[in-house]
Amino acid sequence: MAAGQVLVTLLICLVVWAFLYGPELRRAADTHAEGPRRDVSLVITGALDWFSRTTRLVALTDGAGRLAGRDPDAALGAGADVVVDPLPPISPEPNAPTEPPTHDTDMRAPTNDKKLRVVVVGDSLAAGLGFFADRVFRPALVDVRKQGRISTGLARPDYFNWPSEMRYIVDRYHPDLTVVMVGENDNQSLRSSSGDIETEIGTPEFPPAYEERVEHFAKIATSAGGHVVWVSMPIIRDEDRWPLHERQNDIYEAVADRLPNVAYVDTFDRFSKDGRYTAYYDDGEVIQIREADGLHFTADGYSLIMRLVAEIAVEEFALDPRTFEG
Amino acid sequence: MLFPTIDFALFFVVVFLGHWLLNHDRRSWRIFMIAASYVFYAWADWRYVFLLAGVSGISQLAAVWVSKTDGEKARMRVLAVGIAATIAPLLYFKYYGFFALEWTNAVEDLVFGFSPPLFEIVLPVGVSFYTFMAISYIVDVYRRDTEVAATGDVFLFLAFFPHLVAGPIVRATELIPQFRSPRDARHVEVTEALWLILGGLFKKIVIANFLATAIVDPVFGDPVRISALDAMTGLVAYAVQIYCDFSGYTDIAIGVALLLGFRFPENFDRPYAAASVQEFWRTWHMTLSRWLRDYLYIPLGGNRRGTVRTYVNLMITMLLGGLWHGAAWHFVIWGGLHGIYLSVGQWKRGLRERGVLATPPDRPWMVWLQRLTTFAFVCLAWAFFRSDSVASAFDLLGRMVTGWGEPSTLVTPAVLLAIGVGLATQFTPRAIGTAIRERLGTFGPVPLGLTAAATLFAITTLGPRGVAPFIYFQF
Repeated sequence: MAAGQVLVTLLICLVVWAFLYGPELRRAADTHAEGPRRDVSLVITGALDWFSRTTRLVALTDGAGRLAGRDPDAALGAGADVVVDPLPPISPEPNAPTEPPTHDTDMRAPTNDKKLRVVVVGDSLAAGLGFFADRVFRPALVDVRKQGRISTGLARPDYFNWPSEMRYIVDRYHPDLTVVMVGENDNQSLRSSSGDIETEIGTPEFPPAYEERVEHFAKIATSAGGHVVWVSMPIIRDEDRWPLHERQNDIYEAVADRLPNVAYVDTFDRFSKDGRYTAYYDDGEVIQIREADGLHFTADGYSLIMRLVAEIAVEEFALDPRTFEG
Repeated sequence: MLFPTIDFALFFVVVFLGHWLLNHDRRSWRIFMIAASYVFYAWADWRYVFLLAGVSGISQLAAVWVSKTDGEKARMRVLAVGIAATIAPLLYFKYYGFFALEWTNAVEDLVFGFSPPLFEIVLPVGVSFYTFMAISYIVDVYRRDTEVAATGDVFLFLAFFPHLVAGPIVRATELIPQFRSPRDARHVEVTEALWLILGGLFKKIVIANFLATAIVDPVFGDPVRISALDAMTGLVAYAVQIYCDFSGYTDIAIGVALLLGFRFPENFDRPYAAASVQEFWRTWHMTLSRWLRDYLYIPLGGNRRGTVRTYVNLMITMLLGGLWHGAAWHFVIWGGLHGIYLSVGQWKRGLRERGVLATPPDRPWMVWLQRLTTFAFVCLAWAFFRSDSVASAFDLLGRMVTGWGEPSTLVTPAVLLAIGVGLATQFTPRAIGTAIRERLGTFGPVPLGLTAAATLFAITTLGPRGVAPFIYFQF
């Protein structure tokens, strides 16, 4: 085939595919962080989506998606392809509280028959942390459920509604300990669950509005007598984002100080060296704790954080030290 | 820039137009293609274009110097300097952190109390691939297998975007001659190209990405608590995932190059149908295998210096092959295992040649038994390759023994189907693919475009949402 005809073939392929896949492209554009790229993507994919719906092509797209096991009506982040553990239904304790606690309580002592229930929730950092919770906590005494979901946060419940998900986790699984690591994707305006902007990023209203969401989330996690260890945003290689992480950490720490059964673990100052980012940590032996992306952690790094979580839970909530490998 | 993205699709349409419009003006064409390739490379991080340019410049200087040097010893010295200078950035970016860390923890107290500084080093994408290509160019000039090429051709040879980030590892003698003459714009192998690109996307998006999220990541992320069935299926699933991921990438790379009129060497040829580990290495990542053979194993003496030296050479080659993938002990063990497999295979061949060991009967069941055994040994090595540490690999292998009686949570019909389809690609008769391509070859631009669109739609709908990077980008 001549090169000109090949160009026609390629353009037909791309244009027809874009129209067929328009609704999915629109969804993907909607998940991007705020900025010019998202704005441009939304304009282009919005036009494709409109065409697809006007011509009823969307019925074909949605039908094919359903055949492939994909729910086209699901919330934007609900279909994110990540590994989350199934949550077995657990009967609540006979005298389990139904309101957030008014003072700190101790965690129950686990037995082989009645293991401690731990969930790890949050974004991709939590997804990584979840895998290593399994390696730090002892399986004989602790049941860990990984619930981290990539690209999620508290800013956009239209993408993934963490308060709603946490309510589901509490009602179904009654975790004794919820480990939270979230916030990397929250450097954007706060939206409602329908997608409307409630509080613009960068305004004086943002910090108190974000703090309200953090507190609301923590209260749900502790509402049935559970405990929360909130892991701070870590120091990262990109110094431009340090103010964001420090601002959010202040909020997480303030909420942890204020609410009973909520503790805070610092990973910003602890994992810096002389105030700078470093990929290494000297824990008697020098280990590499950070991935090449300057954000995520290595296996050693996640394990280290998880041990810190367990230690703070021992200190603050009298977690049984037999439950983890120190 | 990743192949299966809209960014790349738009980039490629522009490059395709520019390439064919400038096809007969080689000087402008070369400048345009170098610029396009550097834009492609700079998309993720613009700073590393200087590294690419530096490696290109150093290798060209070394090649010119070698070609102008007389006397075998002097040429050898120049070659050594040239290779050292070319490989230095790779050694720094890929291995400095590993050795500095090992030194700090193991040797510091023993030797002068000196500890090398621990820098935060980010591995530039593709550096392992284009460094090996640069070395092969210098060595080929030294061996007089090729002439010194024009500087523009060398820069384009190393930066040419279809192979830039993850191969195939093309030789100068294969690609640079193709740069010198205009491509035939009347006969573009579009059917074969689309077959490769769409087939590659299917393998990557539908099979590799699905298996990664459905079973491989959970199994290797949490090897302590999984059941024996999950551990075994997860390991086989990883074998299929890495094949579909990497061969999918190279199929796309070869197809993209074909649309521009360039032909790359094959990189995979049904490796899991191999009946021996030696055959596996002739069909897996073929361009790396032949590089290791031609530029490492044979210069070490190959099998020409006696039995023991052959085993030593095989071990050195495979250990370095393991280290090429990454500076970590689990990669070293992966390479070491393959070195042992190949040495044992060599030893058995020697015994058969001397009549000490009987030749296995040439029966289909024996071939299948050999294939199964080979696959099992290859999978065993993959356990070390994929795990984040040697201890994790042993955890995983241990669960295959101790994890019986526990319920499987990850082995589903969809997982088994994906594994089955991935393995079936190794045994499907080639005639079927040929027949489909011949049929598609009779299509005009519109029906072919519509068919490709429908196939692409099916692939993107069947695969998980989102774009997962290719495994070999990290190497």
